[in-house]
Amino acid sequence: MNDALDVAVRLLIVFAVFLVLPLVIGQTEHKVMAHMQGRLGPMYAGGFHGWAQLVADGVKFAQKEDVVPAGADRRIFQLAPAVALLPYLLVLLVIPIGPSEGAVGQVIDAGIFFVLAVMGVGVLGSLMAGWASANKFSLLGGLRTAAQLLAYELPMLLAAASVAMAAGTVSLPGILNAFEWWWLPWQIVGALVFFTAGLAELQRPPFDMPVADSEIIFGAYTEYTGLRFALFLLAEYAGIVVICGLTTVLFLGGWHGPMGADGLGWFWTLLKTAVLAFVVIWLRVSYPRMREDQLQRLAWTTLIPLALAQIALTGVVKVVI
Amino acid sequence: MSPIPGSGLAKGLAVTLRTMTKKTVTAQYPDAQPELPPRTRGVIGLFEENCTVCMLCARECPDWCIYIDSHKETTPPAAPGGRERSRNVLDRFAIDFSLCMYCGICIEVCPFDALFWSPEFEYAETDIRELTHERDKLREWMWTVPAPPALDPAAEEPKEIAAARKSAEKLAAARAASAAPAEPAPGGTAPAEPAPGKATPGEAAPPAGEGGQA
Amino acid sequence: MILAAQTQGFLSPTGVEIAFLLVGLATLGAAVMTVTTKQLVHAALWLVVALGGLAVEYLLLTAEFIAWVQVLIYVGSVVVLLLFGLMLTRAPIGRSPDADSGNRPVALAVAGTAAAALVWVVVDAFRTQWIDLDGPAQGSTEVTGSILFRHWVLPFEALSVLLLAALVGAIVLSRKRAGNSETDPEGES
Repeated sequence: MNDALDVAVRLLIVFAVFLVLPLVIGQTEHKVMAHMQGRLGPMYAGGFHGWAQLVADGVKFAQKEDVVPAGADRRIFQLAPAVALLPYLLVLLVIPIGPSEGAVGQVIDAGIFFVLAVMGVGVLGSLMAGWASANKFSLLGGLRTAAQLLAYELPMLLAAASVAMAAGTVSLPGILNAFEWWWLPWQIVGALVFFTAGLAELQRPPFDMPVADSEIIFGAYTEYTGLRFALFLLAEYAGIVVICGLTTVLFLGGWHGPMGADGLGWFWTLLKTAVLAFVVIWLRVSYPRMREDQLQRLAWTTLIPLALAQIALTGVVKVVI
Repeated sequence: MSPIPGSGLAKGLAVTLRTMTKKTVTAQYPDAQPELPPRTRGVIGLFEENCTVCMLCARECPDWCIYIDSHKETTPPAAPGGRERSRNVLDRFAIDFSLCMYCGICIEVCPFDALFWSPEFEYAETDIRELTHERDKLREWMWTVPAPPALDPAAEEPKEIAAARKSAEKLAAARAASAAPAEPAPGGTAPAEPAPGKATPGEAAPPAGEGGQA
Repeated sequence: MILAAQTQGFLSPTGVEIAFLLVGLATLGAAVMTVTTKQLVHAALWLVVALGGLAVEYLLLTAEFIAWVQVLIYVGSVVVLLLFGLMLTRAPIGRSPDADSGNRPVALAVAGTAAAALVWVVVDAFRTQWIDLDGPAQGSTEVTGSILFRHWVLPFEALSVLLLAALVGAIVLSRKRAGNSETDPEGES
């Protein structure tokens, strides 16, 4: 009975985090992007500096009609948002935010593999949406999504493998337990590769070729309306939370902080995640979209060699120590 | 190219970060009214006391958006045995702002200073027919017409002021001549040409007595 | 495999066994749908279900590492590649009857034979061995790693050489044919 209660509470907390953090990041994006462009951003919803803008957006999306195009493959079209969103919820379950046993939704032995595997499934949602919409732009968006995923999954895996090698384990809390501060400069290349590839996997600018609105409207999500569209958007922001959290855990030392981890571990994790999320927004504002061939070139000729070099470096240092 | 690879990328990031720390330029319009320059073309106000129904504005309007109705009234002769005077009385003066293209020709051609630009711009309607505004509304907008901006430092003085000053100087000279009949009249001012500005509309009479420019 | 055969029986199955059986049935159903559906993309998506079901089976057998690698490689990459290929070439919504060749009976025969052979081999190899699911996980990353690199190093390395050969072959095939005519006539496909 106690166990069941414990599991239920954990699931509830993770679910709440899953619903709240993406909204917080979305709101931050509204405001940060606005100020980086000399604007104010939303100011009305909720009264104080438009804090409830995304809540208002959610209400708006819920009220809209859910349209399925006549030529679409109904069932797959309707299933796609769930396939896109659920993996991020699952991934959030295993990211540890503190050193104690209770600070993680569920400890998984092969944490890195779980996380990367499940996130790869999320892209399937975009592919399904792109194909089932019966729209040429959607199909193009789906194609670009697939090409991008294939290109960036590899450097991401290699960079994560480097950390796993350094720590000698593939479990996320295990990696954090083995973390030392000098891993930061040691794994910095891997961190950059991982973060960049993660951005590309989320299709965030400057890697947003699959949803390039000036050429293919909104890629795979063109035909979606109402709540299903909102789910895709939520998936994107949940993805930011997950990528930033993962980078924090794998490369930035998670709960380790300058003042010790006692009691403050969750704070350090959240702080690092928030800073990374800010960087994600910052990059979006600063850089223009990359072309498809530039995307592929970056992945295959820059990121993968860098990741391999990082693995070699990790191996050498590991042997020397 | 740049000496350090990636310095361009860093520069881009620096630009956005610097912009974030600066003050925003957003105009929070409904909460804060915009600061409009004095010659803003917001709406056309009618100073109907000056209107003589000469119809110049209606004829010159490229859009034909000014509607004027009037009738003639005769007034009894001023002196006994004189002619009866007839004068035009304005019945209707309306501007259809759904047609108006804000060229300002009517204001330029008005010979009696009866039309003015006002910076007022919040007169949107939900029905296009309600954009035809009658003379009482146009008269109300007169109150929003700002005083004309001060002249440039070296500009010629307005001709009304020049004329008034000339007559005042003549008067002073005549007085001086009568008091001490020795000196000839002073050199006088430069010949006044038509000044570009218009008289202050808010005050009914031309400001003859006021001192001119700085 | 560690044996704990004495106390096991086919009657009074545990919860894990029931789940294993149900997931197995679902996986089988998805696999059958994959080969029988008339819609190309649906076949690929049913394949996702089948492969995912397989991963769940691994999980139920406490082979966590294998399960996640299964998801990562097959669902995350192979099926995506498959869908990518389908979308690039021809992926109509609805049935595509022209994709059916007349080889159904032959395919059925081959599939049946392969399945029978596999089932027979597995059953014959393990007979009444039982995996003890309650003890320390026997499929954990650590155990898998040590088994792989202590007992199975040679096959592992042979496999990597095979993959390397495939990699080189792919590069050779996809390389643009420069002016020299000495490259093989069939070239890129």
